[in-house]
Amino acid sequence: MRRMLFAVVPMALLAVWFGWKQQVRETPVQALALANAAGSDSAVAAEAKPALRPQPEKSSVDQDAPYFEACARQGLNDAECVGRLIWYKATAGNDRFHTYTFQQRIGVLVDWFRVLRADQRDDRFYAWGIINDPACCKPGDANCPAKSPEETYGFDWCPGDDVLLKYVGKQGYIDPACGLKDAPLDDKDPHSKGGKADQRHSPCDLKFGTSTGALGIRKFPNPRFNLEQWKKVNDGQLAAWSGFSRSMSATGIPSDARVSKMADASVEPPFLIGTACGSCHIAFDPLNPPADPARPQWVNIKGLVGNQYTRMSELLGSGMARTSLEWQMFAHPRPGVTDTSAISHDQINNPGTINAIINLSQRPLFKGEVITKWRKADACAKDASEDTCWCEPGRDGKCWLKSQRDDDTTLGKPGVHHILKGGEDSIGGLEAIQRVYFNIGSCSEQCWVNHLTDLRQVDPEQRGFGQTPFNIGQCRRDCPNFRAIEDRLPEILAFFLSAEGDATDLAAAKSKTPQALADELNHEFGENAVERGRGVFAENCARCHSSIPESEGGVFKNRDFHAVDESHSRKIRKDFLGNDQATLVSEVKTFRCRALHSNHMAGHLYHEYGSETLRQRGMDPNVPEQDKFKDGGRGYYRNVSLVNAWAHAPFMHNNAIGPEICGKPANKENDFFRARYVDETGQLLAEQPQCLRYDPSVSGRFELYKRSMEQLLNPKQRKPAKTFTDYDVIVDIGLRYWDGKEEKPMFNMPSQIVIPKGAHAGFLNGLLHKQFVGDMFLAKRHPDRLEAAGKKELASELTAIADALLANPSKFVDVFKDQREFIQKNYETCMEEIENGGHPFGEDLPDADKKALTAFLATL
Amino acid sequence: MNKKFVSLLPCAFLVLGCNRTPDPPAIAFAPYGKDYASKMDFAQLEYAHPLSTVDLNKITPENLETLDQEQIDQIYARLTPGPIPDGAFDGTALFPKGTSGKRRVAEIVGGFSGFVANLKGMQLEKVAEFMWKGKVFYREQRVLRNRIEDIGVLKELGIVEGEPKKMEVNGKQTWLLFPAKLYCGQSLLDARRESIIIDYFFTDEIEGYQERPDFVAGRRGIRVRDEIRMVRPGFYLGRAYVDKVFLLNFALYNAEIAKRDGEIFTKTGQINEDCWTGTQPRKTITAAQ
Repeated sequence: MRRMLFAVVPMALLAVWFGWKQQVRETPVQALALANAAGSDSAVAAEAKPALRPQPEKSSVDQDAPYFEACARQGLNDAECVGRLIWYKATAGNDRFHTYTFQQRIGVLVDWFRVLRADQRDDRFYAWGIINDPACCKPGDANCPAKSPEETYGFDWCPGDDVLLKYVGKQGYIDPACGLKDAPLDDKDPHSKGGKADQRHSPCDLKFGTSTGALGIRKFPNPRFNLEQWKKVNDGQLAAWSGFSRSMSATGIPSDARVSKMADASVEPPFLIGTACGSCHIAFDPLNPPADPARPQWVNIKGLVGNQYTRMSELLGSGMARTSLEWQMFAHPRPGVTDTSAISHDQINNPGTINAIINLSQRPLFKGEVITKWRKADACAKDASEDTCWCEPGRDGKCWLKSQRDDDTTLGKPGVHHILKGGEDSIGGLEAIQRVYFNIGSCSEQCWVNHLTDLRQVDPEQRGFGQTPFNIGQCRRDCPNFRAIEDRLPEILAFFLSAEGDATDLAAAKSKTPQALADELNHEFGENAVERGRGVFAENCARCHSSIPESEGGVFKNRDFHAVDESHSRKIRKDFLGNDQATLVSEVKTFRCRALHSNHMAGHLYHEYGSETLRQRGMDPNVPEQDKFKDGGRGYYRNVSLVNAWAHAPFMHNNAIGPEICGKPANKENDFFRARYVDETGQLLAEQPQCLRYDPSVSGRFELYKRSMEQLLNPKQRKPAKTFTDYDVIVDIGLRYWDGKEEKPMFNMPSQIVIPKGAHAGFLNGLLHKQFVGDMFLAKRHPDRLEAAGKKELASELTAIADALLANPSKFVDVFKDQREFIQKNYETCMEEIENGGHPFGEDLPDADKKALTAFLATL
Repeated sequence: MNKKFVSLLPCAFLVLGCNRTPDPPAIAFAPYGKDYASKMDFAQLEYAHPLSTVDLNKITPENLETLDQEQIDQIYARLTPGPIPDGAFDGTALFPKGTSGKRRVAEIVGGFSGFVANLKGMQLEKVAEFMWKGKVFYREQRVLRNRIEDIGVLKELGIVEGEPKKMEVNGKQTWLLFPAKLYCGQSLLDARRESIIIDYFFTDEIEGYQERPDFVAGRRGIRVRDEIRMVRPGFYLGRAYVDKVFLLNFALYNAEIAKRDGEIFTKTGQINEDCWTGTQPRKTITAAQ
């Protein structure tokens, strides 16, 4: 996620590469004799028992009260309620990631004040798609405990802040999570010794902090904060971070306009900011939307729907100039979509929607999958290696055994879920939940940042050249936040299964009976449309979009897809309306880049979160990318559930089929809408259709659903959409001194590289620059090795490109443009550019059937 | 024995000693192969092969030069940041070593007539040696300046304008150039704990900044960012990056601090840590054990 490619530094790297590659080692280095071999006395601290645990100071307003009220309102039991609290609040220590690691190690600045400033609270949802915390208030407003923004450093005041604010710049804050009352022990858990031993890790390491004012985004007092330094940076102001987040343009030096003071990591902000899973998953309740999305009430909030409006990518890049390569590469998914492999970058342009978690108990399980993972045990054999069996020191038989098996169960039934878009995260439901915490930055420093690709490391012999798999066992041992979450995964899963995850049917949203809704739909879509649509669905869709195959539930055409599960305590719908089976991407034909996601492949970062069965899936022969870009079990999409499709448009894994939606915030600086519709030549249309403003009301959702269905069922009528860079990318390079009037480049080096706006954004994401540079070197210096690598046919083009670059480095962009086709074919991980094609199923149906299908699906 | 001859003996030994290539430090390294993926994860490395204070005493600025890059990486990852230093330190640039026995920078210059490896006819290696020669830490101000005794190299490069002002260090007037900010921050090699960062990006905000030559290390120059961890008191191992691209290792040594605090550290392993040391349990193995 850095400016690797287009800076002069890459040129330096090229030079380095050329030099290094001459000296390829021929033999492995022999290790010296191993002294001080480790014993097994790992000093994992056994934290204090609950009674001895530090307790948080009591705050003037109980931040948990509305959460417990919501649990009571929905009838959640203790375990479900604890799981809910964790899902909404627990950052599991990722405050360091979002304050230090992402900025300094990954190289992307987050302007947290820009996102969370209290004076723009009412615009926050429309700008960033994040949801205001009903318990927080704008300092100075009536009844707000904070009377001025100086008291809160410009943020909202939220429950617990009377305590938290006292610790800004000081040690000693006791996190509110320390006060968590855990759920009763599960006597079947082998670590609980029959329900008699509470061996759970301290909840303090869940790290709740207090709300920032946006749900799921949490703050913590920064003990390193220096008030005097902060005042100096911010011109004496405490109500704003304007000095910290300013561009350096005041120096008058042109390139400083593209530099943010936030890049100065010697400045410590007052808060560390963390994110809970809820930051992406908390959303407005489709059954009970807020009257004003900027001012929701607690009854309008649900934690499992998935936020369809979030602009998480823009939020995480909010400190970057729009002219930066990082912004243009990553801050372009549609609302509700984020590239979860942007941080754990796999150099594939593959953003995906946030999964809605609905009716989880009905979700299909896959039996007999071969899975290598750690499973709970109550002891290890005396001679067991720690690589395969490990017991937490200081505990009584709290052990895990690593093995390969094919008989895993989920919720007492045989099989495991397939979770991600291509079915990845397939080793078990609990593990899939745990991995969400890595996605949001938890245990980053202890467990996984060292395993990421360093995009600037071009020496294949050095660490960071490519991804390596992170080790779950190591993470459990070394990251206390991992253990705090792991020991409460059953509670989070219980929350997923709770009433909060029940379907939100349109009939209920409209306060109608199913029959009254059907009457209304029939009136709108044609006589008997709903029943006719049921038939169309059974005939054309149920093959993929029913979880109950005909072999089990009888023929689809006679099926009542609304039938409830009588054995379920809340009588939820029996059919999950999706079989979760993997379908070849060339059959679905939707934007295929996400299907080429590589992080779960063998040897890659999330290797341990993919089953062997997943990785053994056959390659899609009809995908045009080279085999090396589609092997390892890739090239599939999971058939999704259509439960509550009415509330979750636009469609597809990238929200690309349906109208473009947008926030139209009052602050135009925060308007991130991009024009994407192109003509048959791939150029942006001069006149773009208006985007639809976010509207979470029942009528707004239903309107968006209808328009999206129209596009879905009429592929030929869709205007193709493609994402371009919307600003010139400007990379300042070389040595440039300031003579008081202008920047003067030295050594005849270019001072700037500009990539004009209008480049394909995905091209920047997907270019394998290391392989490209490496092959160029071989073509120039060792064509025999290039030939040995089976790339003889590339030699002449590579040589020509290298010669052109060396002759005139400043023409870097032109050279790339001239050779685009060659580079794309050989060094792009995904060549597809049009984002809203595919899913042609149903396109040939008569119009009346399409209307009927639209009517029927709205009832599901 | 001739008095003159006797007095010359130590000098002769000294010369012989100086020319002798030191042996590598006899400490444990995890096995590794050529490919990046063959390197052991740092967390596992430290768990399996922790360094004792005795081990740390075996490491010297001189014998670091015998190690290849992976071995230096393995040492660095097993260090903690230690205290933010104070005072003047002698610096030694340690260029990443290739299997040819040559330094990598030399390999680059020899192998590629590039515009970066060779500036105005000067080898980058010389420029780098010059720039990482000595540093003065101002702990209280969280500032560092580079001690430059001869600015001839900079003048040859044409990056000096006029005669830069000198400052006083240990009673001597010297050039203190390229000021940098000092703070605890992220290591670009090993995330598991912080390093002490020497950051030149905002060099122009520091008192005493002189545009030419100081801009060279800053954001309009090569954007140097160093990080250091403590081997033992008075001795730090560093990594230098140029625009976040790893360039070289360096050693910083202050004999006075090493003498003053070394013994007690060897016995106890205790040291004041200014930065975040991570959550991986770390064994302290001392000479007494």
